[in-house]
Amino acid sequence: MSVSAISIKGVNKTYEGKIEALKDINLDVEEGEVFGLVGPDGAGKSTLFNILTTLLLPDSGQIKVFLMDAVRDYKSIRQIIGYLPGTFSLYPDLSVQENLDFFAVMYKSDIEENMSLIEPIWKQISPFKDRKAGKLSGGMKQKLALCCALIHRPSILFLDEPTTGVDPVSRKEFWDILKSIRQQNITVVVSTPYMDEATRCDRIALIQDGRIIGINPPQTFINNFKGKLYTFKSENIFSLLKVMEQCPLNCNYYPYGEHCHVAFYEDMQEALPKFEAFLQEHHQTYETITPIDPSVEDCFIEIVTHSN
Amino acid sequence: MKELRMILKKEFIHIFRDTITLALVLAMPIALVLLFGFTISTDIRNAKISVLDQSKDTQSKTLVNQLSASGYFQVVSYPHNELEIDDDFKNKGIKLAIIIPPNFEENLSKEGNATLQVINDVSDLNVASILNNYVRAVVQRYTADYNDNSSRGSAFDITVKMLYNPESNSVYMFVPGIITLIMVLVTALLSSITLAREKETGTMRMLLITPVKKIYIIVGKVIPYMIISFISTIAILVISVTVFKMPINGSLLMLLFLCIIFMLTAASFGMLISSISRTQVDAMMITMMGLFLPTVLLSGFLFPLNSMPMVFQVLANIFPAKWFILAIKDVMIKGSGFFDIWLYLLILFVMAVVFIIFSLSRLDKRN
Repeated sequence: MSVSAISIKGVNKTYEGKIEALKDINLDVEEGEVFGLVGPDGAGKSTLFNILTTLLLPDSGQIKVFLMDAVRDYKSIRQIIGYLPGTFSLYPDLSVQENLDFFAVMYKSDIEENMSLIEPIWKQISPFKDRKAGKLSGGMKQKLALCCALIHRPSILFLDEPTTGVDPVSRKEFWDILKSIRQQNITVVVSTPYMDEATRCDRIALIQDGRIIGINPPQTFINNFKGKLYTFKSENIFSLLKVMEQCPLNCNYYPYGEHCHVAFYEDMQEALPKFEAFLQEHHQTYETITPIDPSVEDCFIEIVTHSN
Repeated sequence: MKELRMILKKEFIHIFRDTITLALVLAMPIALVLLFGFTISTDIRNAKISVLDQSKDTQSKTLVNQLSASGYFQVVSYPHNELEIDDDFKNKGIKLAIIIPPNFEENLSKEGNATLQVINDVSDLNVASILNNYVRAVVQRYTADYNDNSSRGSAFDITVKMLYNPESNSVYMFVPGIITLIMVLVTALLSSITLAREKETGTMRMLLITPVKKIYIIVGKVIPYMIISFISTIAILVISVTVFKMPINGSLLMLLFLCIIFMLTAASFGMLISSISRTQVDAMMITMMGLFLPTVLLSGFLFPLNSMPMVFQVLANIFPAKWFILAIKDVMIKGSGFFDIWLYLLILFVMAVVFIIFSLSRLDKRN
């Protein structure tokens, strides 16, 4: 049996005695996997990251990073982790090269030695190495931050919402980079509010209101989806939302981008005609209702609604 | 050590790339000394006065002559009655009026004393009390002369010897004060602001999760600003000595050593402030209220501590500036050596150690 890279047992964290940021968190991250922490803003992702990176103490519970205790052995943990915070946290008045040099020395690391690890990323930003870090584009900033976080060849890399505020092309690029980092035998823990990115992780933990509501590979979440999911286009999503409150069927309706999703928990032979009749009865105009495969977001919504 | 060198290098890059702040920091001390030196002077020359001489005898004229010969006063008007004195205050801008009542000489020779009325414009309290002292001094000398001439013999003579600052030069008072202010501003304010900036932008978190020692982060922050503040201090001293003829009676080495100790105290106070503040604005406000104001008000730099209510006199003890000003005045003006000021040095040093220990413990607090 392989050693867990991270093992978290019963962790709680309350801010200022009132705000419960984390409630009884239990999870394990296997060595060498890309583990995603998926949940909306304010779910507690960053708090959990701060605790894992030993910047914050939990109120209770136990955290082990490669068998080291996050409270007691925080100094040893700091030697083996890389951290990319949610906001750009390099020196904007230092050049790209100066930032990298600085963090290399802070981590007692040698740039030459670890160049092989960061080379694919560094190649993309090295044309701008004399530019001040503050003058880089959002995607470039993230790549530089990633280089700085990897320069000491950490065993675990923590990425707190690395793709928030980054354009879709750079986001895709960034995930490709994460895959290549994983091939270097570095465990990656990444948080994201974007459910569509979750499928690129080996396993994900869904987190909502400080609680973990499920840990599985993304495909398992999708396979475990209980309802039968249909999608259709409606002309007035908001009036539909109101009307659906009176729907007699056992179903869950929610807007999904430009579309509407309905998950039914009934026998579809009877339910679908009933549903169409219901919509017509309430003067809702819609286009064809078609079945669709659930995404991680659908799974998240199903779990959240069912736990309420 | 490689880490410390790197932190220092980074800090100097911050300083030299922020040219406006750098220029301000280097120019401010020089501007302050020149400003204080040329404008804020407590020595008054040629104050305009009026004299209403109602006796017009030899003695009253001698007195008036002595007043105008003193250099402190310039008699601009000789009103004929008290109503006109009022006009002079309003229209001729006089600061003081003297009324010599009738029969001045007669009273003086027959009864051995005479009265003199002085009317002050107290809309500026400082000027009024300084001028009053000047009048007193002139009259005292006049009385002494009179007694000698009339061979009455005075009961006693007061001989005042002005020690350490024989010309009562006000430059002596504010140069130590300005050195204190500059050191507090540059070392405490700037280093606390830059540390708070690292917290604000999140670079502090990045630094904290590296294995680098916390003391390196603090020392790396403090040393560059201590160097700048040391350069400023030298500039102030050079200007004070060359332009304002301020003496350095003690040893220069002792003076510089004292300054370095105080810089250390100021810088560690800055660290303390930034360890309890989260943003640059916090750091600035706390430095202003918690360090700059007490330095100006409670150090004895502008306002004498002895005349303050007991509470403030006690409160002044907890601010480093009071001890430094006592020590630097002793060294520069009295020429004191190490054994005269060792207690002040010790107090400043202990304060620095306490501040550093406290801020180190705060910096790594994880909750």
